[in-house]
Amino acid sequence: MSSSDDPTEVVPLGNGRYQVTRGTKRTIAFAVAGRDTWVFLDGRTSIVSDTPDGSPRRSRVDEQGALTAPMPATVLKINATTGQLVKRNDVVMVLEAMKMELPIRSPRDGVVKAIRCEAGELVQPGTTLLELEDDPSTLREPQGRPEQGRGTTSSGSPEQRRGVRK
Amino acid sequence: MTGPRPFDRILIANRGEIAVRVIRACREMGIESVAVYSDADARALHTTLADVAIRIGPPQAIDSYLSIDALLSAARQAGAQAVHPGYGFLSENADFASACKTAGLTFIGPPPEAIEGMGSKIAARRVAVEAGVPVVPGETPTDQSDDAIVDAARRVGFPVLLKPSEGGGGIGMKTARNDRDLIKTIAQARREALAAFGDGTLYVERLIEKPRHIEFQILADHHGHVVHLFERECSIQRRHQKVIEESPSPAVTPSLRQRMGAAAVAVARKAGYRNAGTVEFLVEGNGDSARFYFLEMNTRLQVEHPVTEQVTGVDLVRAQIGVAGGRDLPWTQEDLSQRGHAIELRIYAEDPARQDLPQAGTLLLYREPSMPGIRIDSGVTEGSEVAVYYDPLLVKLIASGETRDTARARALAAIRSYPILGIRTNIPLLIELLEHPKFVSGNIDTGLLDADGDAIRARLSSSPSPEVVAVAAAARAARPSATTRTSAAGAANIDPWSSLRGARV
Repeated sequence: MSSSDDPTEVVPLGNGRYQVTRGTKRTIAFAVAGRDTWVFLDGRTSIVSDTPDGSPRRSRVDEQGALTAPMPATVLKINATTGQLVKRNDVVMVLEAMKMELPIRSPRDGVVKAIRCEAGELVQPGTTLLELEDDPSTLREPQGRPEQGRGTTSSGSPEQRRGVRK
Repeated sequence: MTGPRPFDRILIANRGEIAVRVIRACREMGIESVAVYSDADARALHTTLADVAIRIGPPQAIDSYLSIDALLSAARQAGAQAVHPGYGFLSENADFASACKTAGLTFIGPPPEAIEGMGSKIAARRVAVEAGVPVVPGETPTDQSDDAIVDAARRVGFPVLLKPSEGGGGIGMKTARNDRDLIKTIAQARREALAAFGDGTLYVERLIEKPRHIEFQILADHHGHVVHLFERECSIQRRHQKVIEESPSPAVTPSLRQRMGAAAVAVARKAGYRNAGTVEFLVEGNGDSARFYFLEMNTRLQVEHPVTEQVTGVDLVRAQIGVAGGRDLPWTQEDLSQRGHAIELRIYAEDPARQDLPQAGTLLLYREPSMPGIRIDSGVTEGSEVAVYYDPLLVKLIASGETRDTARARALAAIRSYPILGIRTNIPLLIELLEHPKFVSGNIDTGLLDADGDAIRARLSSSPSPEVVAVAAAARAARPSATTRTSAAGAANIDPWSSLRGARV
């Protein structure tokens, strides 16, 4: 049997196949290296990212407050308008992909600075959907602001991310 | 089903794995197959496999696979004599079946009147009641206002299911446990019903708790013969979409099977049904004393038809084509039997670790397992593009064996040897389900994934093992100078094949 001290040996077999040997345990793995490296081993698919943090692409709010599409999808509905005040968790738009409705929720309180997509449009992962900025009326109370918008994902909690299968 | 071929040329009004399935049946029967494709499917497997392929429109299904005009004009252009609708899209659309008839094409399915009759849940229930088959309490309120729907739910009794009246396949179904739940759900249910079926009318039905979903395959010819081909157990579902199906059902006793089979045939006869269809039941309780309720009839070939084919030895698509061509069914009920066990796994392009979020992209590597007792019905191949426009079902893996244990072991072995790289799939979830104690024991109900889903999914995310990291390093090292190319290009969407192509040319 293998133990954690055993070295792992990988021999390319060609055509994306690899023989993996750890201790006395041998397995066939499959891998393709592109921008990320995809590995299939014993029924599990892993994406090993070239970037150090290895974070997958997903809908998120970057430092500039842009809300981006998590996946290729069609914009079904836009609930927000430019200049509108939105609360955290408000559904600002609804995307649709593969017969699923995917609500996009505001990650924080703020004002819609710009809407960067149209209903019916096909958006790609990373496409900016909407830009948020802080509500000017709250600017006088800066406490708590540094945390806002950093590392918050619009697909944050499982509940928020839950798509609705039609 | 012997003798000359029933048709020379059949148009397949579908895409994906089912189009491929029908193309293969046509080829075996010496019939020319005509594929139709949208711009998103110009290089799809079904498009490339068929004898003839005709473009029918842009990617959006409403302008292509759902466009009756485009399909009929393709059929004319190709000189097709018959149309196979597959499942989904227009397969249960009576207008399409009528339009085919008017255009002089044989619709490989039931007559429009039967689609119409069984497509409406109210009419279908009436047929079942007239046939002496029990039904689940429910109604389609004539007044479709929110208030009237709430009233209907109170009459039916909570908890209730809201369903598109014109729908099927679990699409657009919502659960509500009380008035408040229901009011929150109506608008979305209506919108989804409208988007999926072009009709926002809702049906309110009592939710039977912990039911099993068991359906009977039936076949009827144009000469008065109706047979059933036993049951399929479809209880492993997530949000009312089937994930694993099997035949026989571990819960159906010989006496229950006999009663349910007779009920299915009675419903089909009462409906004036022709061709292949499925009578769905909810089953409560166990053993010979289990109660069953007619749920609905699906007037088409089902996604899970292969499990029936594996245990009966009948090719349902060939049978459909033969019956549509006017042939007699070649067997009586007594000729048919179930032998062994079959389990179907549906492989979806979705990420089970992230709430089944649909995935799209290129299949960078795709290798089908080949081993005893394994059948693969696939709509994709290596290099295929998975688009966002259509259903996320990629492939069905069907495992057969003499016993349920053997079929399950074969399904596990095969799915563990099924690399699909480039997009995430639900394979890890399927493995967890096949190993789940409740599935192993056969003690399953439709609530399994709702009840244990979170615990199952929690096991899905894990950091890469040392082996995975080592393989990734080897794969990166083997990449022909791709590192420099990729980083030099700096673009967001580098296709790894483009660098390989560059190296070859």
